[in-house]
Amino acid sequence: MNDERRADVPKDIEATPEEQRLIDQQLDASGPGRGEGAGEAKEVEGLSQNQIVWGRFIRHKGAIFGMVTLAAISLLAFSSMGIGPIPGWWIFQDPGASGPIVNGAAPTLTLPSWLGGPGFALGEHPFGQDNIGRDNFAQVLQGVQTSLLVMVVLGLVALLIGVTVGALSGYYRKATDMALMRVTDLVLTLPVIVLGAVLGRLVATLPDKLGWSDDFRLGFFEYMPLVLAMALGMILWPGLARLVRGEFMSLREREFVDSARVAGASDWRIITKHILPNAVGVIIVNTTLLMSAAVVLETALSFLGFGIRAPNVSLGTLIAENQGAFASRPWLFWWPGLFIILIALSVNFIGDGLRDAYDPRTKRIPSKRQMDKADAKLLAQNGRAK
Amino acid sequence: MSEQPIAVSSLSRGEKMSRGVGSGTIKKGELILEVRDLTVRFWVNNDWFVAADSMTFDLSAGEVLAIVGESGSGKTQSSMSLIGLLPANGRSTGSAKLKGTELIGMPLNKLREVRGNEIAVIFQEPMTALNPVYTVGFQIVETLRTHFVMNPTDAKDRALELMRLVEIPNPEDSFNKFPHQLSGGQRQRIMIAQSLSCDPKLLIADEPTTALDVTVQGEILKLMRELRERVDAAIILITHDMGVVADMADRIIVMKDGRVVEHGTSEQIFGAPKHPYTQQLLAAVPHLGSASEPLEGVPRLTLIARDDKPIPLTSGDSSVTPALLLENASIEYPKAGRRAAFRAAHQINLRVDPGEVIGLVGESGSGKTTIGRAAVALLPVVEGKISVAGRDITHARPKDLKPFRKDVGIVFQDPGSSLNPRLPVGESIGEPLLLHQGLKGAELSKRVEALLDSVELPRAMRNRYPHELSGGQRQRIGIARALALEPKLLIADEPTSALDVSVQARVLLLFQELQQRYGFACLFISHDLAVVEMLSERIAVMRNGRLVEVGPTREIVSAPQHPYTQRLLSAVPVPDPAEQKKRRELRDAIIAKEKIVS
Amino acid sequence: MVRFLARRLAMALGILLALSIMVYAMLDMALDPLGDLRTSTAPNRAQLLANRIALLNLDQPWYVRYWDWLTSFVRGDFGTAWRTGRQVNDMLGGAIATSVQLVFAATLLAIIFGVIVGLVSALRQYTSFDYSITFVSFVLYSLPVFWVAVLLKQFLAIGVNDFLNRPVINWPGVIAVSVVSGLFWAGALGGELLRKLITFGVAAAVSFGVMFFTLTSGWLNAPNIGIVGLAVIGAAAAYTVTLISAGLGNKRALYASLTTAGVALALYFPLQFFFAGYVMSDWIMLGLFVASIGVALLIGWLYGGPDRAVSMRAAAIVAVLLAVTVFVDQVMRAWGGYVELVGGRPIATIGAQTPGLDAGYWTAQLDKFTHLLLPTIALVLISFAGYTRYQRGSMLEVLNQDYIRTARAKGLSERVVIVRHALRNALMPLASIVPVDIVSLIGGAVITETIFGWGGMGKMFIDSLRDSMIDPVMVYVMITGALAMIANLIADFLYAILDPRIRVDA
Repeated sequence: MNDERRADVPKDIEATPEEQRLIDQQLDASGPGRGEGAGEAKEVEGLSQNQIVWGRFIRHKGAIFGMVTLAAISLLAFSSMGIGPIPGWWIFQDPGASGPIVNGAAPTLTLPSWLGGPGFALGEHPFGQDNIGRDNFAQVLQGVQTSLLVMVVLGLVALLIGVTVGALSGYYRKATDMALMRVTDLVLTLPVIVLGAVLGRLVATLPDKLGWSDDFRLGFFEYMPLVLAMALGMILWPGLARLVRGEFMSLREREFVDSARVAGASDWRIITKHILPNAVGVIIVNTTLLMSAAVVLETALSFLGFGIRAPNVSLGTLIAENQGAFASRPWLFWWPGLFIILIALSVNFIGDGLRDAYDPRTKRIPSKRQMDKADAKLLAQNGRAK
Repeated sequence: MSEQPIAVSSLSRGEKMSRGVGSGTIKKGELILEVRDLTVRFWVNNDWFVAADSMTFDLSAGEVLAIVGESGSGKTQSSMSLIGLLPANGRSTGSAKLKGTELIGMPLNKLREVRGNEIAVIFQEPMTALNPVYTVGFQIVETLRTHFVMNPTDAKDRALELMRLVEIPNPEDSFNKFPHQLSGGQRQRIMIAQSLSCDPKLLIADEPTTALDVTVQGEILKLMRELRERVDAAIILITHDMGVVADMADRIIVMKDGRVVEHGTSEQIFGAPKHPYTQQLLAAVPHLGSASEPLEGVPRLTLIARDDKPIPLTSGDSSVTPALLLENASIEYPKAGRRAAFRAAHQINLRVDPGEVIGLVGESGSGKTTIGRAAVALLPVVEGKISVAGRDITHARPKDLKPFRKDVGIVFQDPGSSLNPRLPVGESIGEPLLLHQGLKGAELSKRVEALLDSVELPRAMRNRYPHELSGGQRQRIGIARALALEPKLLIADEPTSALDVSVQARVLLLFQELQQRYGFACLFISHDLAVVEMLSERIAVMRNGRLVEVGPTREIVSAPQHPYTQRLLSAVPVPDPAEQKKRRELRDAIIAKEKIVS
Repeated sequence: MVRFLARRLAMALGILLALSIMVYAMLDMALDPLGDLRTSTAPNRAQLLANRIALLNLDQPWYVRYWDWLTSFVRGDFGTAWRTGRQVNDMLGGAIATSVQLVFAATLLAIIFGVIVGLVSALRQYTSFDYSITFVSFVLYSLPVFWVAVLLKQFLAIGVNDFLNRPVINWPGVIAVSVVSGLFWAGALGGELLRKLITFGVAAAVSFGVMFFTLTSGWLNAPNIGIVGLAVIGAAAAYTVTLISAGLGNKRALYASLTTAGVALALYFPLQFFFAGYVMSDWIMLGLFVASIGVALLIGWLYGGPDRAVSMRAAAIVAVLLAVTVFVDQVMRAWGGYVELVGGRPIATIGAQTPGLDAGYWTAQLDKFTHLLLPTIALVLISFAGYTRYQRGSMLEVLNQDYIRTARAKGLSERVVIVRHALRNALMPLASIVPVDIVSLIGGAVITETIFGWGGMGKMFIDSLRDSMIDPVMVYVMITGALAMIANLIADFLYAILDPRIRVDA
């Protein structure tokens, strides 16, 4: 039990670069570019925290890949199938409508010539058709819309619950913490897919159980993805809550929080103005990762039959419906799968980029190849000097 | 125990497996290390940055060379390059010969036979430098068996011998303990034992006492002095502490920004420093005993603790309301989860009069920070009474505290942690004004600018974020913030201990000026007696949650009465070799005496 | 210690109780046992409704039914699946074992591969190897388990079965695999360019050779390892294990390992007779396994020297590897007969075993294996990525610690620094991840069991949920919850054993 903070003289390898500049300024003995840490100092000069994070983020190749892919997928899905009442540009706006079989139901999409195809063209049914002639392109992109919607809504609900629970738990500790953490444990005990299946079943049964009128029921099923996403948001928050709690616990011991308290700041002000902005890294990163889990969870539940139902389309139901036809019409299986993976993968990459960008410990150690180049440069320098 | 010297070379040992370099034994005075044009560079942001530039020096057996510099001066990396332990983006050029064998560019498999065997290292922080999952005995044995052909039993015997050599109590027990089960001082002794295990020719001690309390530092310095008489190794001592240098070093290299600015014998550097930086560095070091006249006669006003009874309250002018008054106050860290409540301060009697600066001194865990935190109502006083500027806050509820908050300010130790990283510093300074006086807009910025002026920072700095400022600048911001409401009482909790000495000197100067201008009362908490002596009129010494001695600065510094205060004072090294020699004898005598008593 | 255990048990029981209330209430709303009757057009619909309400006590409020359920549950009566009338207790028997088998196998394999790959990835930080592993693990991480399972079932299983019936060798594929294998090993082992090139060449050639041999020699139709294979594996195991666990400089450990391998070779033919002459069982196998470890320990001990423990450890690891090899060899020998028994399509896509198969111990093992294969691959692929990422991060963090610098400054070899000082510390945080992963694997098992038609717990859960049968669902919930608690408890103990700083009685 040590109630004091020891006089920690910074170790040399972690020399604060700012310190360096100050001495330079005050003693005016040496120019920049000397001494340990001078290089890092130059890097963050005159930038705010957000600019530094952003700068690191856009240098992360995976994150950029994720951003571009996700943007392209969203653009494609919403522009082709429309948003709500606004129609999109794709000819088949109703994914449930069947039509005549074209090209033996096989995809009519052709690759551009630089990929060895006859030139890029969508054709009548770019992703092919199923056994009753429904357009797979329309179905898949409608499913993508559902997935994106569920991802965002579920992410927001889980974010709200997780941050609230974590913040209260970590800030007030004691009985509040005990109670909230037991609830968290409770939710964490069962696999999300199990709780999700129960909730999915619940959402589907409610209209029957409550004896709703047909109109009401129709409206309810129309907006089912939204309801389901909110319900599933109730089970995906515990991981985030734990991390936020940990972050709050450590931040509330920091001296700037004590400073604020001594200055007379209220609990609300301390939580929202002082702690929360400093926990934003953890929150953003983990919400992102949670969103990718959300996509997979929703499709899995729909696959099992406890998720999205007609008239809505989910990538999971598409795969479930078409898995038997794998041998005859593999495209019905590949396309929805490909989009699930692409969405989850890009969100994961964005999350990874954010993690690196927010992590203060991220020291970019140069790779061996970079060091080899650097060695060559050093050799050249010394050669010239001699 | 130290009466019977054990010559290291006579210890039982096996056949040496690692061949190392040169001949097996060395004699005092023999040239061990020749360093020529040693340059260390780091590849950062697509460019080379020089961390240590063209170092050149020789080192002989039995000699102690101190490399001194502030953080970032390159003192550690230059030594690490000798055994090829630079980070992946570091490169060293030039030459360093250990008994004629070139170390720079030596292939790794050869270098491994040198590491730990010919050149051993003592690191700064023994808690993190020892592997937490292995027993300390195992870690010493491991070093031995890496370089010697030795069976486990012999290795254990030899490890126990080494542990006795570094005066570990109950070596047989300690052998099977994990690092976290030992105290900081004992861990550092294990580090030393481990480094000595293969009779190295060169010992690199990297800030060996920086992480330790001053009395423990004294013990370790004593041990190292004794060892240098017994082992023939050359020692490179890397440190920022001029007192430690004065205690140990034969020769000194002063480094700044990777350059050697001065190189000479201890007498030359301390007696007649030539380079302006060295002069400035030496001037910046607070020197214990320099601020107060030696006391003649016996102390009259000092109170000391006897027989576990608390020190009574110092009598004072009854017409003034004390700025801070603690009467028989006990302070607890509240129960958290299943961790029981912890009482960190017992029955404290202390008064700070308006305009007075009181220094509160103690080692880590003594409870001095606890008192500071209780004084700003961050911790509850569970017994006794505490009042600030005449207002009793012992049982105040949070909402009653608001008027009280105007009367106190606090400056924290770590300038990196005491400002919200996500707020521009101007907002941090303005927060108390916003909360208490409801100031906004132009009026607020005028006040913030005035505060920045008073701590001698440019007004434009208000829009900067903490990470853009240096440690010294951040601490000035912290002071400005604490003074925003012109409090009657300021708590300064180790405000300068995380700063380099030259920066510390400037901040302390500023602090003195501000105290005179604003006339606030101050409880100045520090582990550094020399700093406290400079600033305060009275000193209170704490140990294990109790005050042990309270009195006027001059009396405490010149004629301490409580044995603990005596030990504390004697353990502080002063940056003057001749004087330190005298102090050292006193210190060693006290340590020896205590050992006999216990 | 006892207090710690009691406290944890009490807490676990409390959570289970709360869980049962919460889930029961939710299920009461979610399940609609009257749904089919409500839309029914049967003339006696009212009568049917009344019967079912009486059967399921639906006229009572849910908490009364919950209480009934709870009281019989604690007495060990888990209720009935009312649509089929089967006792839940009867349904459970095989289901638990099936599910636990699947989850256990997947966890074990995911940890082993994940830790090794993550470790190597960390050691080769910022190389192409590291980037590739990172990319692959991200892709795996993003894969939906149901999609993978369907893919494995429809693509791999059918493909392999077709290939076995009508082998057409895909040479470009073989060459591509050889090249990838060469790249993998060159990246994993690292070194200078020349060394990488050599590693690449050797690994690619060996992969090609092995594939060429297995595909063209008819080995696939009668696979076995044989004494030659055992000798090669034994020698390789002895050298590798000694290299990693003791260093090749430790001759005693090396000789102990080689001797162990020699003993295994000498026993190979006698064992063949033993296996052929007696009826085998899992208990005999376990006995042989333990015996082989015992013999290895003895060999290590007999080699003596100051570091007996090290020799014994190395020899024991070699013994484990060789025991498994011998076992696998025997199982392989059952292949030909098995293929005929199952009609030439040995890779199973449905169920946990072939019904009515009665062809001896080894064939039963093989049958279990072919059924376990695909679901396990599906689960491992997804879980593996998490462990890789986690182990890589944890290892990188440890490698930055001061004590690693100390270890290097002591002159320890890189092997000792990595294995003894870094790995041990980097493994500790894994203990807190494993229980979380087990819970999510149980979730994954729900999906794989459904797709592969395994009669496990997960399938029981899904089917009962679909058919509105509350009793089996509740039992599933309770058992899953209990498994999660046990996993957590074990993890806590593991943590306490691995990390001397943690005291369980605190």
